[in-house]
Amino acid sequence: MKLAVYWTGSCGGCDVSFLELGMGLLEVLSRVEIVFWPALVDAKRRDLERLPARSVDVTLVNGVIRTAENKEMVEILREKSKFLGAYGACAHLGGIPALANQVNGVTEIVFGPGFRPGAPLGEAAEDAPPELLPEALSLDEVVPVDFVVPGCPPPAGLIARFFEAAFAEAISPGRIFAGEKALCEECPRTREDRRLTRIVRPHEVQPDPEKCLLDQGIICLGPVTRAGCGAACPKGGMPCTGCLGPTPKAGDPALAMLSALASLVRAGEEGESAFPEENKILDSLVDPIGTLYKYSFAKYGRPLLKLARKRQEVRA
Amino acid sequence: MPEIKPRIGVFVCHCGKNIAGTVDVAKLAEAASRFPGVVYATHYEYMCSDPGQALLKRAIKEHRLSGVVVAACSPTMHEETFRKAAEEAGLNPYLVEIANIREQVSWVHSGPKATEKAVRVTRAVVEKVWGDRPLEPTEIGVVRRALVVGGGIAGIQAALDIANAGFEVLLVERSPSIGGHMAQLSETFPTLDCSQCILTPKMVEVSRHPKIRILAYSELEEVSGFVGNYRVRIRKKPTYVDPAKCNLCGECAKVCPVRVPNEFDRGLSLRSAIYIPFPQAIPSTYTLDAENCLGIVPLRCGKCAEVCEAKAIDFDMQEEILEEEVGAIVLATGYELYPKEAMAEYGYGTVPDVIDGLEFERLLSASGPTRGEIRRPSDGKIPKEVVFVQCSGSRDPEHHKPYCSKICCMYTAKHALLYRHAVPAGQAYVFYIDIRAGGKDYEEFVNRAMEEERILYIRGKVAKVFREGEKVVVWGVDTLTGKRVEVRADLVVLAQAVVPSPGTEELARKLRVACGGEGFLKEAHPKLRPLEALTAGIFLAGAAQGPKDIPESVAQASGAAAKVVALLSRPKLEHPPEVAEVDEELCSGCGICAPQCPYGAITVDEVAHVNEILCEGCGTCVAACPSGAMSFRNVGDEQVLRMVRAALEVEGAGV
Repeated sequence: MKLAVYWTGSCGGCDVSFLELGMGLLEVLSRVEIVFWPALVDAKRRDLERLPARSVDVTLVNGVIRTAENKEMVEILREKSKFLGAYGACAHLGGIPALANQVNGVTEIVFGPGFRPGAPLGEAAEDAPPELLPEALSLDEVVPVDFVVPGCPPPAGLIARFFEAAFAEAISPGRIFAGEKALCEECPRTREDRRLTRIVRPHEVQPDPEKCLLDQGIICLGPVTRAGCGAACPKGGMPCTGCLGPTPKAGDPALAMLSALASLVRAGEEGESAFPEENKILDSLVDPIGTLYKYSFAKYGRPLLKLARKRQEVRA
Repeated sequence: MPEIKPRIGVFVCHCGKNIAGTVDVAKLAEAASRFPGVVYATHYEYMCSDPGQALLKRAIKEHRLSGVVVAACSPTMHEETFRKAAEEAGLNPYLVEIANIREQVSWVHSGPKATEKAVRVTRAVVEKVWGDRPLEPTEIGVVRRALVVGGGIAGIQAALDIANAGFEVLLVERSPSIGGHMAQLSETFPTLDCSQCILTPKMVEVSRHPKIRILAYSELEEVSGFVGNYRVRIRKKPTYVDPAKCNLCGECAKVCPVRVPNEFDRGLSLRSAIYIPFPQAIPSTYTLDAENCLGIVPLRCGKCAEVCEAKAIDFDMQEEILEEEVGAIVLATGYELYPKEAMAEYGYGTVPDVIDGLEFERLLSASGPTRGEIRRPSDGKIPKEVVFVQCSGSRDPEHHKPYCSKICCMYTAKHALLYRHAVPAGQAYVFYIDIRAGGKDYEEFVNRAMEEERILYIRGKVAKVFREGEKVVVWGVDTLTGKRVEVRADLVVLAQAVVPSPGTEELARKLRVACGGEGFLKEAHPKLRPLEALTAGIFLAGAAQGPKDIPESVAQASGAAAKVVALLSRPKLEHPPEVAEVDEELCSGCGICAPQCPYGAITVDEVAHVNEILCEGCGTCVAACPSGAMSFRNVGDEQVLRMVRAALEVEGAGV
């Protein structure tokens, strides 16, 4: 099987994640021919361009699409590949880098006023850095994506599941290599008192090792996130932050979660007089976008941005 | 999902001028005929009329319609009418939807914008029908037994009517005997029949009825389930007397050393710890009141058991918990009088010769503490002047109860009249605000009391009642003459407000039945559904629902019983299928939905389950479900989004 792996706007963790396969990696490597994988094997863009169209069996792209170069590279990869998949949360949903979409003119903030994307940074620069796109994009906003191996980074079990399907030539289009149900299915924590009376951040409490984190006031995105990791974070006392992406019918995971949270603060209460206190509970949610859209802002945050910009325009 | 192109028919109703006066119905029908998916559109004067329904049925057949939108009034009015008509024409009724262009358009808008909104509303509902699936109502079986809670006259009547229709009845009564307040009354207005004489035959009938099981000295502990299938837990307190063995000889009561106030005589007499509330009590047995008995634990007394020849007394009798299944429940928990102790202006119940109406009934009753002779509690003297105070605690929103207790005018007239008969030389005064004698022969009865019996009716409120020596002084105002009135009476009878019997609200909570502001059980609709609670399968009878006299209680009880019989006679119960459902392939069992459900319809194990019978389709769980596993039949997310898009489409209005 001819395999290509490429990184766009990425931290590199996805490339490292293959090591999670352990001895299984040897089996994988014995069955693939790596035609392009900059993190492992030296190869340049022109090497890739020389490959015939559809000559790569499977390509895995990790990272967010942030620069014009990212975009061009994945377009070339798309042309050369039979199957192209998003690997990891950034390629899948935009990931953490896409939270930058909250800010208008992020480049000016980072590089200083007067910065023009694409212009050389200084006299010593040989090449101009690639032009930054106005927004961080998920992979499927740029090229058609055949499948997804989600996660930040993808957990070993799901990587193995992907290779199994790939070797069997059984990658069904649109498949997401994760569970269809929410993470709660895999979570060993007990759920009893489904009510939210306060919201705390993980570092503020020593959570009870048995009880559901959400019941303890820690915002856990388990109920809205696909299963597949074995509830690794909740088992370790940390809440799920949603890296495997929303369940198939959840839609916008942040809105689905917010709706659930709003329901949980009101559970068992009736009457309008109960509302102000409950609103205070939700007000104590620090960084709602960073919490609820941690990995999915590129994919799902756009309507919210549009709304916010429209409101700004109306105000102006 | 492959989308088959639907064949939707749109029927615009004029509703006379109600809609057509504001909305251009012809234009709406014409616009509707061009909506995607619509193959037929028309308008008619009254769609709900027989010819209107015939038009609908004909069109369904002729145009092979796969869905129908009737643009008319609110779905709460005629949705069922049109769904039934469609069903008769062979179309699944759940493919018929109402576009409400009356309450939401023509009644609240005017001008050309109204027609545009009507077009948008209709267009959106066409989109909904596009996504509707045919549904079948859920069917469940019915447990063919009823539970009646409360053994007063209302409960007795309901139990008898249900049992006589052939269904088993469990009659639960909290006190040792059925009979309720009616058993305490002397004579009844306006006919002056002896209350016990007309009540006891019914009590005997209940006790002998093969279909009725009386659970006296018992209380309803817990209720679960739903219409047709309630599970109830009843706590039966031990009476320590075997009713089968007890021969009512009464020797036990004679030797019992305990004396406590007798509840049946409202504390005007004393009873022993082992007692029978009144001779005709049903179940016909003595009851040992464990709270006041000296001998239960440890065995210190036991005198009653020594003298009981029938060996009916069993100190080891245990409390029983009964688990029963019933299909319907009648709540007939009755009333109590607002306590005298709450009446600051009338002496807080501390003046012995200021008594309430039920106490006076006991004084009048031949079986009462004075054997029917009217003797006042303080010294046993026959009162020469008696003041009756109406509206004591009623119609007084500032201090007491705001409502009219309804029965006091009549029983006060009866009290005064019976007093005059018993003490011909005595003088009776009645203080009243208004006389409300709306009932058959009631006005005549009050007139008789006023005119023939020389009872002095004084229109006005009593400001103060206090004791002075042997007399009870009553200060009041005659509002007709404007003069202050002072009566130095021997006895004062307060017509205390009628309040729900203690524990009514707690019982209502257990049954998920609403209580009104004053604590009376709330009917489903004040005019059209007065016999039933909003919770299906629970019916109301008697004064638990509001102050009532005997004929009204009996009428409501018979009505409730008829409803129960109608319910229990049905081979199957149907529940509308438009409820929440769980996609078990998607549900992770996170359990966020369950506490949201106001009907307790959701249980969660590996996945969530919706009890379709309990679900009333409010949709709260659907909004709460984070993973999208919970959905609402025929109101799917996709459907709603399509409706919103269609309604907001700028070009789509077509006018």
